[in-house]
Amino acid sequence: MATEPSIATSILLLVLFLTTSTISSASPSSDDLVAELESLRASSPSGVIHLNDASVSRFLSTASTPRPYSILIFFDASQLRSKPELHLRELRSEFGILSDSFSKHNPTSSRLFFAEIEFMESQASFAQFGVNSLPHVRLVEPNHRALKDSDPMDQGYFSRLAESMSEFVESRTGLEVGPIIRPPPLSRSQVVALVVIFLISMPFMVKKVIQGETLLHDQKVWMGLAIFVYYFSVSGTMHGIIRGSPLFVRDRNNPDRLVFFYEGSGMQLGAEGFAVGFLYIIVGLMIAFVTHGLVRVRNVVTQRMFMLVAMAVGFWAVKKVIYLDNWKTGYAIHTYWPKRWR
Amino acid sequence: MATSKVEGSSSLRHAFGGVLSVFILLLIGVVAFSIRLFSVIKYESVIHEFDPYFNYRVTQFLSKNGIYDFWNWFDDRTWYPLGRVIGGTVYPGLTLTAGTMWKLANSLNIPLSVETVCVFTAPIFSAFAAWATYLLTKEVKGTGAGITAAAILAMVPSYISRSVAGSYDNEAVAIFALIFTFYLYIKTLNTGSLFYATLNSLAYFYMVCSWGGYTFIINLIPMHVLLCIVTGRYSSRLYIAYAPLVVLGTLLAALVPVVGFNAVMTSEHFGSFLVFIIIHVVALVYYIKGILTPRLFKVATTLVLTVGIAVCAVVVAILVALVASSPTKGWSGRSLSLLDPTYASKYIPIIASVSEHQPPTWPSYFMDINVLAFLVPAGIVACFLPLSDASSFAVLYLVTSVYFSGVMVRLMLVLAPAACIMSGIALSEAFGVLTRSMKFHITKYFECSHTEAPAKLGESTSTESSAPLENMTKSDTTEKPEVARKEKVARRKQKKEKELTENAHVKPVSAKKEKRPLVLPLEASIVSVFLLIVLGGLYVLHCVWAAAEAYSAPSIVLTSHSHDGLHVFDDFREAYAWLRHNTEVDDKVASWWDYGYQTTAMANRTVIVDNNTWNNTHIATVGTAMSSPEKAAWEIFNSLDVKYVLVVFGGLVGYPSDDINKFLWMVRIGGGVFPHIKEADYLKDGQYRVDAQATHTMLNCLMYKLSYYRFVETDGKGFDRVRRYEIGKKHFKLTHFEEVFTTHHWMVRIYKLKPQKNRIRGKSRKSKLGSKSTSSKSGGMTHKNPWN
Repeated sequence: MATEPSIATSILLLVLFLTTSTISSASPSSDDLVAELESLRASSPSGVIHLNDASVSRFLSTASTPRPYSILIFFDASQLRSKPELHLRELRSEFGILSDSFSKHNPTSSRLFFAEIEFMESQASFAQFGVNSLPHVRLVEPNHRALKDSDPMDQGYFSRLAESMSEFVESRTGLEVGPIIRPPPLSRSQVVALVVIFLISMPFMVKKVIQGETLLHDQKVWMGLAIFVYYFSVSGTMHGIIRGSPLFVRDRNNPDRLVFFYEGSGMQLGAEGFAVGFLYIIVGLMIAFVTHGLVRVRNVVTQRMFMLVAMAVGFWAVKKVIYLDNWKTGYAIHTYWPKRWR
Repeated sequence: MATSKVEGSSSLRHAFGGVLSVFILLLIGVVAFSIRLFSVIKYESVIHEFDPYFNYRVTQFLSKNGIYDFWNWFDDRTWYPLGRVIGGTVYPGLTLTAGTMWKLANSLNIPLSVETVCVFTAPIFSAFAAWATYLLTKEVKGTGAGITAAAILAMVPSYISRSVAGSYDNEAVAIFALIFTFYLYIKTLNTGSLFYATLNSLAYFYMVCSWGGYTFIINLIPMHVLLCIVTGRYSSRLYIAYAPLVVLGTLLAALVPVVGFNAVMTSEHFGSFLVFIIIHVVALVYYIKGILTPRLFKVATTLVLTVGIAVCAVVVAILVALVASSPTKGWSGRSLSLLDPTYASKYIPIIASVSEHQPPTWPSYFMDINVLAFLVPAGIVACFLPLSDASSFAVLYLVTSVYFSGVMVRLMLVLAPAACIMSGIALSEAFGVLTRSMKFHITKYFECSHTEAPAKLGESTSTESSAPLENMTKSDTTEKPEVARKEKVARRKQKKEKELTENAHVKPVSAKKEKRPLVLPLEASIVSVFLLIVLGGLYVLHCVWAAAEAYSAPSIVLTSHSHDGLHVFDDFREAYAWLRHNTEVDDKVASWWDYGYQTTAMANRTVIVDNNTWNNTHIATVGTAMSSPEKAAWEIFNSLDVKYVLVVFGGLVGYPSDDINKFLWMVRIGGGVFPHIKEADYLKDGQYRVDAQATHTMLNCLMYKLSYYRFVETDGKGFDRVRRYEIGKKHFKLTHFEEVFTTHHWMVRIYKLKPQKNRIRGKSRKSKLGSKSTSSKSGGMTHKNPWN
């Protein structure tokens, strides 16, 4: 609620300033700065200006307030990009999309610029802004005198990526970002090429299909595919993909030890899922092998040996899964007896 | 195994087998029904949870006012002041089914109450579902597999979780409808009979009436048809199975008001139309192939191909244009999140936040389908040896549903029947081989003087089809007692197909060992059978446990076991009964949307929002009121004509899913529409808390006040047993609300909005305020308070 009047006043100031500056051209230096920023924006990929300590002081800290522009700054650190839990890479690309969409909808606007700062090369600026954790985005509005006063974007605004970031921008600056334009996964020429290839290959494909000599007619392929999908699902791979859970984690107390199995039912690690998925399917494949393959074997001794192996493996796998499930969720298969019968 | 020993004895055996399987199926039905009664036995015959209460209320209305009034029902008791068109926005299948059952029972002079019928609808339909599974699996792999699959489905935990007695929800009948539709499709595919094709459309219609999951059918069947065409399995049976379904099924689906033109306008259905076109093109090709000589056909092929592709391209282009013209590409968010699993977590936080929509981890599979997870791969392999139209459908059903279940744990319910069918096939094939081996060895052992007998057994079968196993499945398909000429032709074709695949499969082996039957060593077989039985035993134990302990809690009545015995918390019904008996019929009750259905159904009072979350703004209004300070909240509620506010509070008994725990959602949803509500104001350093460190906004919002009003009087400290700390603000008075009722365990608290005050200034106002608050306090005392 307290921000509303400040935004209004800032806009008012901004408008006043812009009109005065265009009419009387009182401060040519700020016009220069705008022109410089515009040229920088034109030369940067997706219009995100790369700032360093020098340019921060030039455009922000030493420029006289109120500045004729706001700058939305994304704080980046190349050595932290490898940490998946920070989502720096993803957020940076979303930031680029936001910038792109803004310049598409407001091609001539010089009231808002998008910029990024890298930690290693501009540590002083990080200190000036008082940024000590990432991901971090700040909006420096025209009347922010000290850089620390600038407006940090809440974590909540990262949740829906570019869409929510644009809400932040719209609510603080009063500028309209417009709908976010995401680049299509395939470019136009790629789509055209694909369609052409598809159209050309279609008669050949149809002919092959009619003659029945594609890979699709091989039942073994289908069978392998079916079992693979089953394995993929029961091992909870989708959980890993959606949640982005790693294959394994390092033990906190002992960094040399790798933890493959996570205790607690809400979460699982990748390796753990693959191992159990393997246990799930190995039993079924053993049964299938015995019922469909082994019966055709002539040698009784071989049959006996293989059945022994199959039974041992099956028994072991079932036991292992029951044990792991018990360990992970605390549930063990047990009989249900009403209280009275006990 | 129908070896032609003596005609009479074999027919006697068949008769006996038939009677036995009918008897077994009856028992399976009894098991499926009775395993779901734990909730009635352990608790009582009561409807569970939230949505079932709405369905119950609709059914009551239907049984009271008849079908036409139901169809045109505008409900003014909910979403006040908007109301809701019930007839046009519900899937009527469940309601109509239960209403019909109730009417039938009453016309037979069986005086059942509507509630009883509703409570037992799900178990009854579980029995039907088990029988439908038998029919479906029988079409795929024969009677033995059918019975095994039915027995497994009767008690699969995943299905039990949605169909215990009292959980009167759409899924209860929809799973039966799903399986039955699939059965009729396969039956049509196997017989090529238009009769079954029509039935299939009707079953599909029933499914559309019952559940939004019908889109799974209308996408799975086209996929299968396409697969059959691509792998060169096109036949006229396929055409008969598919074309009537699309035409009739779509027409019928459009009759259901909630679906309506969606049946032709949304992308979920476009796949079926595309395949409908493709199958016609293919049918044309096959027809032309039939009437032309091979050479002429080659010429024609090129012609038809060019024309066909041109037509296809045009149609595809039109479809693409249609799809692209709609904003979400014609797909609903839920369907999109199935195709692209990361979609929901990125763009629809509300969908992603629901626990049912989480991707499952591997223990979920062990919990929900238990040992079936081990058996399914064997079933897949069995379906490929040999592959028929029916078994390829079973595999496709399994594969798609297992993929979807990997995306959303809720769809485990759709996987369950597929897993049961596969496991049934696997178990029955394994038992078939093992018991045959045992029988073979034992007969050999006992009748070693007649050495020919077993050899003959082997020989006779091997001359026919070279493998007893295959013979078994085949004899099942040939033994179908059937009639139609079309069917015979179809069967012949099918048989030929089967033999072809078999021969191709077995030839290299059978040439060498013609006389050896396909058996395994005796002792290993015995041990294997024993192990399989142990595995099945584990399954049964788990299922009974899951049905009894995990999935039977009605959540309207809560129990807890402690060292001094069983505690029953029946506060919800206490509160709703109070509302029903102590408030005016037209009074409006505000609560968070979770309790909307229950309030309308049990208290018969008008609510502002309910579980059918169709109007986000309205929900946000209630959320905003709950997160505002008392005065602002009073104004919002007063503007909505609200007389009473109901909050659910678990702090005294430790009931974790109370309103304080849901409160952040109210703030978020409220803040989404009314930006002056900011989540950050309610969080202390990013943490949600209501203790001494909580923010000022939090401690002054309506929800906090209504939940913790007079809470300190219970133990003197105000210790919250859910959050496990003492609350932040202990002594405060309410200015705009007065407490009118608090249930026995304080789980539901009901407040009344104070009437608008007169504009009195100065001293007199003060004294009036004081007297009012004391009177409200004493009023609160006179009401039930367990601590006095």
